[in-house]
Formats: sequence, C-alpha cells, structure tokens
Amino acid sequence: MSHPSEGDLILLYYGEAGASAAVEAHLASCPACARAFEALRADLSSVTEDPIPARGEDYRETVWRALQPRLGASAGARPATRRAVRWWAPAALAASLVAAFLAGRHFPPRPSAAPIPEQARDRIFVVMVGEHLERSEMVLLEVANAEGNDPVDVRSAQESAENLVAANRLFRLSARRAGEPGVATVLDELERVLLEVAHGPSQLGPDERAQLRRRIESGDLLFKVRILESTMRSKEKQMAAVPGTAS
Amino acid sequence: MVQMAGSDDDTETLAQARAGDADAFRRLVERHSRDVFRLAYRMTRNEHDAEDVVQEAFLRAYRNLDRFEQRSNFASWIYRITANCAYDSLRARDRRQESAHPMTIADESDGPIPELPSEAPTPDRLVFGGEVRRRVALAMRRMSSLEKSAFTLRHFEGLSIEEIGRALDLDASAAKQSVFRAVRKVREALGRDPGLRPTT
Repeated sequence: MSHPSEGDLILLYYGEAGASAAVEAHLASCPACARAFEALRADLSSVTEDPIPARGEDYRETVWRALQPRLGASAGARPATRRAVRWWAPAALAASLVAAFLAGRHFPPRPSAAPIPEQARDRIFVVMVGEHLERSEMVLLEVANAEGNDPVDVRSAQESAENLVAANRLFRLSARRAGEPGVATVLDELERVLLEVAHGPSQLGPDERAQLRRRIESGDLLFKVRILESTMRSKEKQMAAVPGTAS
Repeated sequence: MVQMAGSDDDTETLAQARAGDADAFRRLVERHSRDVFRLAYRMTRNEHDAEDVVQEAFLRAYRNLDRFEQRSNFASWIYRITANCAYDSLRARDRRQESAHPMTIADESDGPIPELPSEAPTPDRLVFGGEVRRRVALAMRRMSSLEKSAFTLRHFEGLSIEEIGRALDLDASAAKQSVFRAVRKVREALGRDPGLRPTT
C-alpha cells in the first residue's frame, strides 16, 4: 500500500474501528512511517489532562437548589428542600420578574394570569436586584478589604457568595434572554468573582486577598456593580412615586 | 463508550420522573451532577461555563423526559446532552470573543497556526517545566469550538468517532476531520511538523 496519511495514523493511535490492518502491516515494513507513528504517539501521549476542580459532597444539593426553580412549580415541594426554598423563593420570583420586566420593554403587553399587578411586580423586581447587588458588593468588600498579615476566615462570606451565585445566575440568564447584554455582562463578571470566593480557600492570606482585590479592580467590577445598583435604586424611587406601585 | 456511572436504580427512578415525580428527577440530578460537571469542565475548561452547562444539561433533560427512549440508559443520555450543551457553550463563547476581537478566533480551516513566540522547544523543555501543558493549552485556544469538543471527547473521554458524531449532532466524517485538525494543531504547537510524511 502507499504510505498511510496522518489521519490513518491518528485513527490507529486511537484504536478506531476504521483503522486498517493494512496500516499496521505497512508500519511493520516501512521504517519512515513507523517513525512517524512513534512521533505521533509521543506527541499525543504527552497531552495529559489538567486537574478538574473538585466538587464536594454537597455539590449535588447545590446543583439541585439552582435547578429547581427553573423546572416549574411541579418540581419539588419536599421537606428536605425547605431550607433551600426559603432563600430561593425570592430568587425564583425575581427571575420571572426579571424576564417579565425586561421583556415588557421590547414586546407589547399581553394579558397575563399573574396575580401581581404589572407595575408592582416590576417594582419588586427592581428592589430585589438592587438588594442582590448590594449584598454582592458587601461580600466582595468583606473578602477583599480585610486587613492585616494573618489569614482571614471567610467561610461566612463564602456561604453568602454561594447563595448569591445561584440568584445571580437566574438574573443573568434572564437578562440575556431578554436582550439586555449590558446588564448580563455586569452580572457575568460579578458571578465569576463570586464563584472564586465561593469555591476558594476558606482562609485567605494577605497575598490571596491582594490577588482577589486586583481581580475585582481590574475590570472596575465594584464600580459597575454600584452603577447598576444605583440605577435600580433610582428606578425604585421613580416607581414608588407612581400610584399603585408602592409595596 | 466511556460514560458516567449509571445505576440500576436509574431505570425505576427515571420512570417515576417521566410520570411527573419531581422528587425522582431530583434523585437523578443528585446522582449524576458531579459526573456532568466533570464532562462540562473538561470540554469548556472553565469553571463558570461548566456550571452553566450543568444547569442547562439537566434543564434540557427535564424538558425532554418524554422523548427519552426507554431502551437507552440515563447516564448515556445525560452524557450526550451535556456534551451537546458544552459544545453550544463553546460556540457561544467563540461568538462573544469574535464580536469583541474579530481576528482572534480560530476558523475551521486547515491553515497553519502562527509560530510560537518562544524559542524552539528542546525535549528537556517540553518534558519539564510544564512546557507541554502550556503549548497544549495554547493549541486548545486556537481550536474552533468544534475541534475542541471533538478532540476532548476523543482524547480525554475516549469516545469513538461515531460516538462523537452522535453526541455533537455531526456526521462521522465531520467528527473525524475535526479530530484530525485538532491533532494537527496540537502537534504544531508542540513544535512538530505533521506535514513531514514520506512520499509514496
């Protein structure tokens, strides 16, 4: 046979069923192709896997907590989930409000079976996003601004960050679907940092805090979060001034 | 096909979930979430994106429970869904980067990748100092989303070309060519010239 192609050698290396026995026979009689195959084998053998971030035993519950509100009302009213539902209920409500609020700016209003009047619903959404941003800002400040040379225990901030991540994801996805890339981008950046906090070490030394601080400052994240929060607060005040929207 | 750890319990739990038992679906999520994350991370190489893929995969599974074929197994099914979601995530990431930096995303052609900025590799440098890892990471960044997905599934996950095609909704030929292009990029990044082949 003619010399096998690189593709033939790749299929042979991976043990694909399509790899021809003729290729193997050829390699046995052609030193040049045998060397080419050995080079390929050496290259691909050197490609090893990076470590995959560990996920603890509680990860299963974390996934479910974030997923459950998105599955609809039929998913899960069981006692074991009560703790999760307590903090998720506002987030789930907020997510639907995010979508409705943002979509309302792009599509004509249509009849809704929602029991909450539209204006009041929008105001609740604005309040919740504002509070979410405020809490996120506090977590970031708490972790990044701790002073001293000793390691700081940030377990409390981590727990807060983990809860905020789940809520943030809902806000972000809803904003993206509703065609609000600016809002989605800020929430995306925020989420990445919250994830770092949530899944990082529970004791942060001065170097780690400085690194986190640089991470926050590099994208002006706090500034963007504050601007978005301020926008929400202004909107909240405007809405409060409109009859029928005060809660 | 390498797949996630399934369980005999899945069959019964899945039947309950299909009948509308949300608690049963919860058990499936809890049973498979870590494996789903592992695959999602391998494909996206980004923790944040992997978490999104985990959510999207289970959501997609939930919405399509009625389409699940009884003769399949849930682990294989959620594996394929996850691979597909991760591929979607990579494409979305490419689109975002492309709109921000139009010249930085790899196309799906066979064109050579640019020379590495560092000096030519010696075997010692490649073996030691994480140079191989750095160069492979660079090659992965230069792959298209399709090449990256196909290569990850072939090289790290051990899927056959045919299985990759099924997972990514491609025909086998497209899957195979994607793996070839990805391997070529890896070898180029390692300083090998794959074009040096004996002539007939």
